[in-house]
Amino acid sequence: MEPVIQFVDVVKIYPLRAGDVTALNHISFEVERGEFISIMGPSGSGKSTLLSLMGCLDTPTSGSISMSGRAIRNMSDEELTSFRRDKIGFIFQYFNLFPLLNIIENVSFPQMLKGGVNEEKAREVLRAVQLDESLYSHTPMELSGGQQQRVAVARALINDPDILLCDEPTGNLDSKTGASIMELMTELNKNGSTIIVVTHDPNVANYTNRTIRIVDGRIAA
Amino acid sequence: MTAIFWEIAKRNIRIHMLRSTLAMLGIVIGVVAIASMGILGNSMVSMVSASLSSVGDSVIVTPYSGGGGGMGQGGGGGGSSSVSLKISDQNFQEIKRVVAPNVATPVYSTSDHMKIGVGSDDIVATIYALPTEDVPGIMKLQAGDYNDGNSGCLVGSTFAKDHNLKVGSRISIGTDGSKGTLRVTGIIEERGMSFDISTDNALVVTPEWFENAYDRNKDYDEVVVKVKNGDTATVKTNIEKQLNKQKDNKVVSVTDSKATLSSIYSTFGTVTTFVTAIGGISMIVAGVSIFNIMMMSVNERIKEIGIMRSIGTQKKEVMSMFIYEAAIIGVIGSIIGGVLSILAGYAVSALMLGSTKYLLTTANALSVVEGVTFGIVICLLCGIYPAWQAANLNPIDALRHE
Repeated sequence: MEPVIQFVDVVKIYPLRAGDVTALNHISFEVERGEFISIMGPSGSGKSTLLSLMGCLDTPTSGSISMSGRAIRNMSDEELTSFRRDKIGFIFQYFNLFPLLNIIENVSFPQMLKGGVNEEKAREVLRAVQLDESLYSHTPMELSGGQQQRVAVARALINDPDILLCDEPTGNLDSKTGASIMELMTELNKNGSTIIVVTHDPNVANYTNRTIRIVDGRIAA
Repeated sequence: MTAIFWEIAKRNIRIHMLRSTLAMLGIVIGVVAIASMGILGNSMVSMVSASLSSVGDSVIVTPYSGGGGGMGQGGGGGGSSSVSLKISDQNFQEIKRVVAPNVATPVYSTSDHMKIGVGSDDIVATIYALPTEDVPGIMKLQAGDYNDGNSGCLVGSTFAKDHNLKVGSRISIGTDGSKGTLRVTGIIEERGMSFDISTDNALVVTPEWFENAYDRNKDYDEVVVKVKNGDTATVKTNIEKQLNKQKDNKVVSVTDSKATLSSIYSTFGTVTTFVTAIGGISMIVAGVSIFNIMMMSVNERIKEIGIMRSIGTQKKEVMSMFIYEAAIIGVIGSIIGGVLSILAGYAVSALMLGSTKYLLTTANALSVVEGVTFGIVICLLCGIYPAWQAANLNPIDALRHE
């Protein structure tokens, strides 16, 4: 089966006034459909750059990246944006929900971008992430951190993405709530979701099936 | 565009109500300034044209007073006035021939002392004399009849009102009534300002009485031509060609009332544009304020924009969200401004012109529409750059923004 993510000899250089910075240096790896992977590495190792490239927020300086069978290098901004909307679900450390929208609207947002709203689907994914139904009409600020992260997971799942990209998903939660979120991730993975988690936390990495370590822009092991 | 962005724009305005209201207030003031200034200018033009339109078809011929040759042919006759610039009967006959079939009316005019009733104050007013048969073509009466005899006179409406005159009232003319007494036979309808003869504050008598009283003999002060055939400019040219044959020895000055009117209207038009432009300055200030709050709105929401972009929001959708915000402020502010400008136009017209009867006109409605449109356009223009900036933020940088 075709890998859902394929990096071949990817280089990412940021041209800065003080001199070019090589964030990723000839990186190659593959992620198969249904994998649960963690990406670990010290600060400045290139984790965030890797996440940006996998999230189609940026394109490589050289090398090729294929996501769900599509080469992203020559895609226009509009194509990359549509690709993110349809194929990738993002989960952030700080939840990043929209404060002006209620929970149902937050979860439905990516659906609305696609041009169709199915409130029942939003309720379904909210039930799948075990959020109490009485909270659906609340705004994010009225929810706890753990509840907000569940909403963020639901928002990431609403368009049935090929890949879930999580950036320190438990970084802003206490250990108990963090564990419950990781258990939710494990369950989603068991149900077929491909999940990639960028983290510093070895406890989080323990939930995953494979760990990619990045050091100085290269894969260490 | 997705309805959610409209909803977000509305909610953002709502949670920043004070800031949005202040921006709206700027637009309200801008629209009111533009529209009410437009209304004032239009009302001024309407008012002046209402009082001038009746004389829009006249050509007025007066003795030439510029240069040095005015006295030549035109000065014949030797009137009693010390300023003896007159139009001779010969010249009048020439004018009559040149303008035919239009009617040329010879007019005498002077000012004199008069008294109304015994023991009344001495007043000074203008007295016109023109042939009885020509009077109905130039003025209409609101009461009484045209002169039917030598000792009758017509009085202007303002003069009649000021001195409480009625048909049948008597006026003694000259110091101590030396010129005799006239009986009011009719009261002339208000004519407003005019280029030919201003009757509102004057008396109109017969030429026979006038010639007798002031020792005049067919040496006229002016000739009024009512142009019913052809246009005033041609009539003017024909008179000048006939009477002012010699360039350095002109006999008459000819005024085309239509040309004068159009020049007056054009001056009023310029004044209206100028005052509206002054109103426009306040709109520009309002635009700067809209620009400012839109930039604030973008800066406060950089991270939100980053999230939106990362989860699949297109640049044009981000842009639409901010354009909607500017449009909501612009449309609400402009409509409120439009309504208030009608009230402001009423107040300004009442205070500055003393009349509001020219308020409900197409031109004024157009001024309000212009003000409202300008307000909306300014808001949209001032929203475009912040919206463009928001849409073009780098999603990675925007996501990292604290």
